Amino acid sequence: MICTGCSCLCDDVEIAEGKILNACERGYRHISKYMENRAKPAVEGKEVDLDRAIEAAIEMLKSAKNPAIYGLDTSTVEAQKTAVKIAKKLNCYIDDNSSFCLGEFVEAILRKELPSSTLEDVRDKAYVIVYWGTNPYHSLPRHLSRYSYYPRGAKRQRGYDEDRYLVVIDIRKTEIAKLAKKNAKFIKVENDLELVDSFMKALDGKAGKYDVAGVLREMKKADFNVVFGGLGLKYGLRGNFKAFIELLRNINKFAPLYFIPSGFHANMRGFNETLFEAVNAVNSYSFSSASSSPEFAFTELLKREKIDTALIVGTDPIASLPYEASSKLPKIKKIVVDPRKTLTSRIAEVVIPSAFSGIESGGEMVRSDGVRIKLKPIASSEFDDVYVLKRILEGL
Amino acid sequence: MPLTPMEIYKLLPKTNCKKCGEQTCMSFAFKLINREKKLEDCKPLFEDKRYELQLKKLQEMLKPLAEATETGLIVRSEKCNGCGNCIVVCPVHVEKDPHGAGIGKGPSIPDPIYRIENGKLVILNMHACRRYGKNRILCVVCRENCPTDAISFLEG
Repeated sequence: MICTGCSCLCDDVEIAEGKILNACERGYRHISKYMENRAKPAVEGKEVDLDRAIEAAIEMLKSAKNPAIYGLDTSTVEAQKTAVKIAKKLNCYIDDNSSFCLGEFVEAILRKELPSSTLEDVRDKAYVIVYWGTNPYHSLPRHLSRYSYYPRGAKRQRGYDEDRYLVVIDIRKTEIAKLAKKNAKFIKVENDLELVDSFMKALDGKAGKYDVAGVLREMKKADFNVVFGGLGLKYGLRGNFKAFIELLRNINKFAPLYFIPSGFHANMRGFNETLFEAVNAVNSYSFSSASSSPEFAFTELLKREKIDTALIVGTDPIASLPYEASSKLPKIKKIVVDPRKTLTSRIAEVVIPSAFSGIESGGEMVRSDGVRIKLKPIASSEFDDVYVLKRILEGL
Repeated sequence: MPLTPMEIYKLLPKTNCKKCGEQTCMSFAFKLINREKKLEDCKPLFEDKRYELQLKKLQEMLKPLAEATETGLIVRSEKCNGCGNCIVVCPVHVEKDPHGAGIGKGPSIPDPIYRIENGKLVILNMHACRRYGKNRILCVVCRENCPTDAISFLEG
């Protein structure tokens, strides 16, 4: 089966003798506990049947003045496409978690501003592997062993201690920074923009605040190097993405260096690509003004009290958003489509149960590097995100 | 604390009485670690009350021996998060399973040394380990690449 616990989408997970094999602890918990704490269809806190809940949701969306659709990062591409159609029909806002996650990097890749590659190529060819502002030990546990540093690739047969060079850039000595021993470098960074500047200076042969000339020398040795960027890099750049894009462009003049975002929900990139195909924007899109802007991010809409109804699919904003935004949620009407009971579904006007993508329902998801993967569910469900969203679309 | 013959020797009677069948207390300490002898073989330690405190310390010290495998390997599963670094770096896996564990996937051979079961590392076939048997070598690759120190060996 395909594990949908994180955006690695590991395809070697097996179930045999009542055990889940090869999945990391995160994947094991995701797969083994899918039956726990399941949601039931409800309207205004009272349990109803599924049809009644869907009808109530349709009524609510029809009467809404400024609705928004939010979430969808753990749904399949098919469900995301249907959600985009709903947003178009309602002429409303649509957003996912990438507006405060790695959406900017995915957008830069889709607009071909950042060169990117696949994880299979990284495994087979990569020499210098940089983890910048990300700790895959927590977010993508099998990333190093599955795709990047440890496996022996087609052109990297001698293993990690001779054929790879690991660079970890972080503000603290993380778990993976401890693995940077031989043929490796850990850069403890205080200001990411100063580090970008140090790289730029090192390219011209000058010394900057951080000693990075050695890393560039290693990059020049190989024909394939890669940077995995995470949230630490995004927020460390403080909105100055151009400086980072410029840095990669300059390094690419000397040595091929690719960028892959790492550390997000199973199908966040799928949402970005689906919306990009439809409207040429990756997130925070308003169909009524036909444009994308940081102002249309779900958190901003909540803070400015611009919406009156939200269709929330597969995410728990009460638990995940900061108080400033989540405290506004009780003021608006909420329709929650989620397989599990969540804090948001407790206060939602309409709750519609769904199925776990990859476990109970099939479809397609997009891995962090943009490779599309067909899910192989191990159980079945009468309804899933696609069924619920299609019913809503038809009802509208 | 690493378990070394010297640390054990310091707590033994150091009389070289030969009652255990060994020539010296030092060689007895070596055999204790290799599990060829048991602490009970040292009779003065149990009979003489002078060594009571030392005996207690020794028993405490040798506790990890009981939970370790034949190669001295200890896996603390509460620390393991199933990242699988140890499986992929293991030289035996790379040799026997170049298209499975060798390239980062889960092991595809029937008797791998390690496997991740239910999100935790499980030892399946210790006999294939390079630390096992007569021609053993002190390989520590899996321990070196464990991000949480879930893998340790008796010698430290």
